[in-house]
Amino acid sequence: MSIASAPIRGLQEVARDPRSWWRRSKGSVELWANLIVLGWALVFMLWRGGGFAVTVGSVFAIWAVLAVSLNLVVGYTGLLSVGHIGFFGIGAYAMAVLTSSASYEQLRTEAIPTFGWPFFAALPISVVLAGLVALVVGIAFNRFRDDIYVLVSFGFAVIAFTTFLSWRSLTRGAFGIHQVARPAIGPLVFDGELEFLALLLVFLGLAVLISWLIVTSSFGRVLTAIREDEEAIEVFGYRTTHYKLAIWVISAMMAGLAGALLASWSTFIDPNSFVLLESVLLVSIVILGGLASIWGSLLGALAFVMLEEGMRFVPFLPSEFIGQIRQVILGILLVLLMLFRPQGLVGRFKL
Amino acid sequence: MMGISFIKRLVAITLLAVLVMVAAGCGEEEKGPFRIGVMESVTGAGETYGTVAVQAKQLAVDEINEAGGINGRLLELVVEDSKCNAQDAITAYNKLTDVDEVKIILGTSCSGAMLGAAPLAEREGVVMFSGLATNPDIAEAGDYIFRTSLSDATVGVDTGNVLWADGIRNLATINESTDYAEGVRRTTTAQFEKLGGQIVAAESYPTDTTDFRTQLSKLLNANPDAVHVASQAEASGGTILKQLRELGYDGPIYADVVPIGTTALEIAGEAATGVKAITPDLDPANAKAQEVLAAFKEKYDYVTLPWFLGSAYDNIYITAECLKKTGDDQNADGFRDCLYDITWSGTIGDNYSFDEKGEVVGLANAVLEVLPVAERTEENGGYRVLGAAPSN
Repeated sequence: MSIASAPIRGLQEVARDPRSWWRRSKGSVELWANLIVLGWALVFMLWRGGGFAVTVGSVFAIWAVLAVSLNLVVGYTGLLSVGHIGFFGIGAYAMAVLTSSASYEQLRTEAIPTFGWPFFAALPISVVLAGLVALVVGIAFNRFRDDIYVLVSFGFAVIAFTTFLSWRSLTRGAFGIHQVARPAIGPLVFDGELEFLALLLVFLGLAVLISWLIVTSSFGRVLTAIREDEEAIEVFGYRTTHYKLAIWVISAMMAGLAGALLASWSTFIDPNSFVLLESVLLVSIVILGGLASIWGSLLGALAFVMLEEGMRFVPFLPSEFIGQIRQVILGILLVLLMLFRPQGLVGRFKL
Repeated sequence: MMGISFIKRLVAITLLAVLVMVAAGCGEEEKGPFRIGVMESVTGAGETYGTVAVQAKQLAVDEINEAGGINGRLLELVVEDSKCNAQDAITAYNKLTDVDEVKIILGTSCSGAMLGAAPLAEREGVVMFSGLATNPDIAEAGDYIFRTSLSDATVGVDTGNVLWADGIRNLATINESTDYAEGVRRTTTAQFEKLGGQIVAAESYPTDTTDFRTQLSKLLNANPDAVHVASQAEASGGTILKQLRELGYDGPIYADVVPIGTTALEIAGEAATGVKAITPDLDPANAKAQEVLAAFKEKYDYVTLPWFLGSAYDNIYITAECLKKTGDDQNADGFRDCLYDITWSGTIGDNYSFDEKGEVVGLANAVLEVLPVAERTEENGGYRVLGAAPSN
């Protein structure tokens, strides 16, 4: 299934015969999911105005790059990994360490090296580093399948977090790294939130394009075959381990890219952003949107961010419990969605 | 034709009425409430602190509003959750400044969250004023960033002094790997070594560890004169005290504030008796502080982290005082200047003020000692105050 083909086909048909719209749409959860999420996003933007919408848009773009990258592994290849947050963190820390130019009072923390590189020099390093780590980890992971795969990827997420926390001479541990550089092309510095959002969307477009090229190629079809029946495709002479390793590394590099963007966007990172819970959240976004659907990942990320940020405006909550209640409602909504729509908003394939 | 002109007239009258109402509304807006943002980490790792902070602030706001507000205008809090991490703090910050258009934000309780939002606040000229964040880096965060909480650096320096004054020469340390606990450990160690002491063993553990026996045995094998415990979660702090005694260690134990919190003392039981903690604490002789604790207990039916509670409570009264002076909740620069000038006497101490970095001066850490189980009551929190920490 190619990106967004279903909505486009639907639109073409509606354009030919406008009256068919209601007939078609009445029973289509997929169409309604699209309409509701996109409509809500639009209403939210108009209602809450530019500034905050830009922030929410940036958060969405980062989650969307992550979700699209994870969908390649989980949705298309059928390897359920909860370790993706590790690569996200590696990308973020590579960007932070290489570009930060902060000086710290040395009484309190170990001296960490500062390089002060520009953003665009550090970006490829972040991506490649995430890829290299994925290559090493992936060779080991290829020995595992199914449930065990979940467990080892879980282990990886924990190891990554502990490394960020404990490698103090490089990451400054729990203190975090300040003053991560914002991107600059010559005199043009992406300092404002709007410019940065534009840059994020360019990278999101790039990630979507790469994913689309992969899943529509013969390489992508082998991946889908691995998901459906790994033994069968091996019988046809495909070295499935090579394919799995390749998509794992590509996906990790995209996650590293998302991490690098996050570090630059927030200009301060500490290990709290790379805890296992975020990884589980990410897997839920991918499943929520729909496995093996790029559009699903985008929609899932948008739905998640819109749910989370939209909840800020639920009225009549006592101020002391606002945060807790938001999380409870979010949890209930996710459970309900999974209960009634296990294939996700626009997905075709159940885990 | 008649109908149309009638409708036209009706429309015109309606429009006029709306205009008048809008104009009246604008006039009234001047007398609307002062709106202040509050950003605390009410979920995530720091939820105990965040919740106490929000509740203490709400208590103070209710008191002010019941007494007639500030110059006749009410005070209104817009609360957001920063979840104890930098990214969520940034979204919460943007929501408060873009949507609610506040210029003064109180919080946050988590240093990581504060450091995430502080560069934005500094760039956009929004005041951030925290009662709980203790990371030393916040001192350098900027001109608009203030706090009444004492930096971990001061806690560490005072702890080092107390250790030395008590005749400790060989110290073993164990700390949780968080910015707060790690900060306390490092500054303690630095001050202690500066005075001539020696660290004979040091261990650290990740959040949510439950068994410390291996690490504690390693510490005790080094034969220290005393063990210093710095934790961020009360559960781990209490468990460490308990397991230290179970391993047969009977020497002195020093700690930061967390291992002597209510939950920690419940876990540790008799094992905590005699543990000394160096931390800011409410002065038992301060009548105002006792009053605030009683009011908090009355409203929420529990009391925890009394000093942080008092600090958050004071933040509101300081804010109210400065709003009285500037008369405008959109005037962040005036508010900032007011904070630089103010000298305040409240729950957490008398005559404290802010230095040029926005750090509080005039408050001191106290040395506390945990009482035996039989003598612990809800009122004394399970410890007694030995006095102010010696200053070098």
